[in-house]
Amino acid sequence: MSVHVASVGVGRFGKRSEGLLELATEAAGLALEGIGRKKVDLFVAGTMLAHGPQGPPALLPRLAERLGLDWESGFRVEAASATGAMAFHAAVESIEAGRASRALVVAVDKMTDQPTGVLTRELAAALHESEVASGATMPGLGSLVAQRYLQRHHLAPEAMGLVTVHDRSMASANPRAHLPKPVSLEEVAASRPVALPLRLLHCAPISDGAAAAVVEKGAGKATVLGLGQGFDALRITDRADLSSFLATRLAARRAYQQSGLTRKNIDLVELHDAFSPLAFVHLEDLGFCGSGEGPGWYERGWVQRDGRLPVNPSGGLLGRGHPVAATGLAGIAEIAAQLRGEAGPTAVARPPKIGLAHSMAGLGAQNFVTILGEAPS
Amino acid sequence: MSAPGPEGLTLVKCSTCHARFTPREGPCPRCMSPSTEAFIVPGIGTVLASTALEVPPPGWEAPHLLALVELEDAVRLLVLPEAPLPVPGALVEVRADGPVYRARRVDGDRGGRGEGDAPGAGPSRPPFEPPR
Repeated sequence: MSVHVASVGVGRFGKRSEGLLELATEAAGLALEGIGRKKVDLFVAGTMLAHGPQGPPALLPRLAERLGLDWESGFRVEAASATGAMAFHAAVESIEAGRASRALVVAVDKMTDQPTGVLTRELAAALHESEVASGATMPGLGSLVAQRYLQRHHLAPEAMGLVTVHDRSMASANPRAHLPKPVSLEEVAASRPVALPLRLLHCAPISDGAAAAVVEKGAGKATVLGLGQGFDALRITDRADLSSFLATRLAARRAYQQSGLTRKNIDLVELHDAFSPLAFVHLEDLGFCGSGEGPGWYERGWVQRDGRLPVNPSGGLLGRGHPVAATGLAGIAEIAAQLRGEAGPTAVARPPKIGLAHSMAGLGAQNFVTILGEAPS
Repeated sequence: MSAPGPEGLTLVKCSTCHARFTPREGPCPRCMSPSTEAFIVPGIGTVLASTALEVPPPGWEAPHLLALVELEDAVRLLVLPEAPLPVPGALVEVRADGPVYRARRVDGDRGGRGEGDAPGAGPSRPPFEPPR
């Protein structure tokens, strides 16, 4: 039985005055409008951060009250910064299992109302406690990954700036992006150090935002063709390699296998580039290019909207923004919108038939790959 | 975690699959065997990557130095290095200190970030090290 994405809703990412529930309600409302407010029998919600009076413990009843929907079942999921992808996978699998016929998926996080210290600690909760005990943070460990990648391929740190410049350029077409202003390689290289070689403009911003989708039984232009998830050691010190993510390779293998497709069938990609060098790592782990070839793809413009493989046409995490839980679903929603011809200003040059969304939790301990496209006839 | 002596660093070896890893609760992370035994190594390792966190978590001072170190046994540790930040390739001695590992250079403190390098001395600067 096939399941397809019937509609998506993504609100503006950035510093928003609204609270968590308002943001989720806005995105859910857009997705529900898209299906003419037809009955939904399953509700799946996801959020990662746990601060404030509108915390996640009673997220479903709080949202139910606002959305005024009469659903029969629902649950909340959490997978750190891949929460949105996990929520989507869980909803699709519930429909495939016959538990529901139409589901609303919402993923949301509210971040900008918190001091940086609080956020640093909350985001580091996705890392292993033995590493957090040493004062490790997400950018701190991201820096180690960046260095291992640069060392392995004999690259200068300037190469990482290519991803920021690309994402910000893509975001400039996206009215819902957090950072729609283009930047130059020089500006990236001159931004303040966060954890060298990572500088501020190599890191995704702290954003508020929500994404939503309605998935239902049936086939369409954004049919779910393959879902994959993969795990890796939570301690980065237990991993054999830091310049590649096992969790992505496993998730990709499973999604390709389920869909019967290979990387050659994929027309566009949304990647989880919380730190710019991760885009190279992901492109390689997903099989699109060989080890160390990622920077060349950006340099040659192959990732542009009219390139060989458009990457992050929405602006990615560095341009669209990164409200952690919402990010994974926003990437899937962008792929679905592109396939359905509803992407508007972010549409890629050649109408795509099959797209892939990649999502990463923490520093790659549980990653997700989602392949959507036209169902084979 | 077993208490490390002043000499050496305690690691754990799986009696079944012979994987080596840092002391921790529970079974061997590779084969799940509950049968593990502690052993002592000199604690000398090579820095694979290192950084200075300009925005450390609450309770730590900036810049907070972190390094990924690989010991002779291919066991990797996240350590708090002594300043100046040891560059990749530097040789360090690692000691357990409560819940953290600390490291100091044992190859002459050449080439740390933020300190003057003797011209031509020390390990070659990695390609990502920003020019000063």
